[in-house]
Amino acid sequence: MKKDVAVIGGGMTIFRRRLKETGKELSFLAAKMAMEDAGIQKDDIDMIVMGTAPDAFDGIHMKGENLLDGAAGAGKPYVRVFNGGGTGVFAPIAGWWHVASGVADVCLVVAEEKMGSCYPHPQTAFQHIWDPVLDRPLHPNLVWLFAMEMNRYMTVHGIKKEDIARVAVKNKRNAVGHPCAQLADPNITVDDVLNSEMMAWPVQRLDISPPSDGAAALLFCSEDVVRQYTDDPVWVGGVGWNIDSTMWTNRDLYFPRYVAHAAKMAYKMAGIVNPRKEIDFAEPYDPFDYKELHHMEGLLLCDKGEAPILTREGVTQRDGDMPICPSGGLLGVGNPIAATMGQKVCELYWQLAGKAGKRQIPTNPRVGVGQAWGDIMQMATVMVLKR
Amino acid sequence: MTFTEKQTDPTAPTHWRGNMQADYLYPNGVAGDKFFKHLKNNDNFLATVCPDCEKIFFPPRLYCEDCFVEIPGENWIEVPATGTVRLFTTATINAHGKKMETSKTIGLIDIDKTDGAMLGIIKSSEMDKDLLGLKVKAILRPREQREGTIKDILYFEEI
Repeated sequence: MKKDVAVIGGGMTIFRRRLKETGKELSFLAAKMAMEDAGIQKDDIDMIVMGTAPDAFDGIHMKGENLLDGAAGAGKPYVRVFNGGGTGVFAPIAGWWHVASGVADVCLVVAEEKMGSCYPHPQTAFQHIWDPVLDRPLHPNLVWLFAMEMNRYMTVHGIKKEDIARVAVKNKRNAVGHPCAQLADPNITVDDVLNSEMMAWPVQRLDISPPSDGAAALLFCSEDVVRQYTDDPVWVGGVGWNIDSTMWTNRDLYFPRYVAHAAKMAYKMAGIVNPRKEIDFAEPYDPFDYKELHHMEGLLLCDKGEAPILTREGVTQRDGDMPICPSGGLLGVGNPIAATMGQKVCELYWQLAGKAGKRQIPTNPRVGVGQAWGDIMQMATVMVLKR
Repeated sequence: MTFTEKQTDPTAPTHWRGNMQADYLYPNGVAGDKFFKHLKNNDNFLATVCPDCEKIFFPPRLYCEDCFVEIPGENWIEVPATGTVRLFTTATINAHGKKMETSKTIGLIDIDKTDGAMLGIIKSSEMDKDLLGLKVKAILRPREQREGTIKDILYFEEI
């Protein structure tokens, strides 16, 4: 018998390019914040899920095991989950199933990433994710790959670069209210983005989120015990995940069909028939500005090619009809891969629980969707939270 | 059939030769930073005491993993650079399966006045004897040569 699952606490460290804390220490700080938010002790936690992306970032093989004592995992049932950039939403999905299955009443999820250890730049680690025989001998770089995908998206729909730049402006401005933010900027303009350094056409410096160190944590709790912790729970409505072929060369990149598959899975579980009407706000994965638009379309929140128009019309602003990335997203808050759970799922919880402070959406939202994305443009993870 | 072929030359199948190069700067962390800075200028160690269970962590940590509480600054203490051998082994073959020119004895040293231990190289006048329970002290680099890393501890020597 499946249990209903509530979120009862969240925590998040500051995000920065290089932090002096170890991964264990970052995990501890985030986990402790979530436990204090929920009013819960280590003894009350049945199981722990750790989400952390490639070992090559921290430079510790089996880093899930290394991190566990900082994640309250010592002497507990503990497991690490990992699917690249999708981990930030997949870790909470794993937390959900620990509780939904009935094996745990309370499950702590910690997501950690320490990209600064990989020196001089974590792109060194990304170089090893490609096919070793077909791609790697040509020394491809992820920015080049996403530049090609961005180009395809712009070309199919006739999208102007300035309409994509508006996403970076919105998110870096939204991040001004976020205490963890790395790249908040209240004065940034579209021209700033368009005039920033060209990296790989059409990708410019301010189109991209920065590598970061950081950690985030969430506490999931069964319907059986939730009233011990809160009278007004935020619930997990649905979860979905989907992965497409690593042979990205054989797919049309203008639309992320794997995101749509994952979204449909989550919406079906949540009983959502018309996502555009029933979802009040969203946190799609935005490591690049065009990805927010791509993922809004993949999440079926608008028609294909419509996301830049909604953005231009202000619909996706925090006070618009469909706020998108009210946290400030990866573009504004930072991109410590797995720890972006802080923007993509913790933010849903904080918004729905009325704990988002300066970032609070003014229209009393009741349903939010968060999504992460990763690997070689192939992984999507989706979670719906509701009140 | 590939599976039934006896393959003795790893370069015989057509292939691309690659590597996985990556370089790191591993931060010592908040607790580690304090520990190593102290080690650079002192001849003893630092440890931390959990404010709840009073367990004494060596090497010092920012938090108690059992009580899951942060250890405050006033709970840092100095402890002697001495201890007792709890476990040891003497290695004679290296990681590549080759005979080592000189054997190496490593052990787990319980550090005095703490609940913690560390891995260390052990040197004793009688290396053939049972080293369990041996009282040892840390031999540190001369202070002017220390860099504030674990390598400042050269080895542990019988007291």
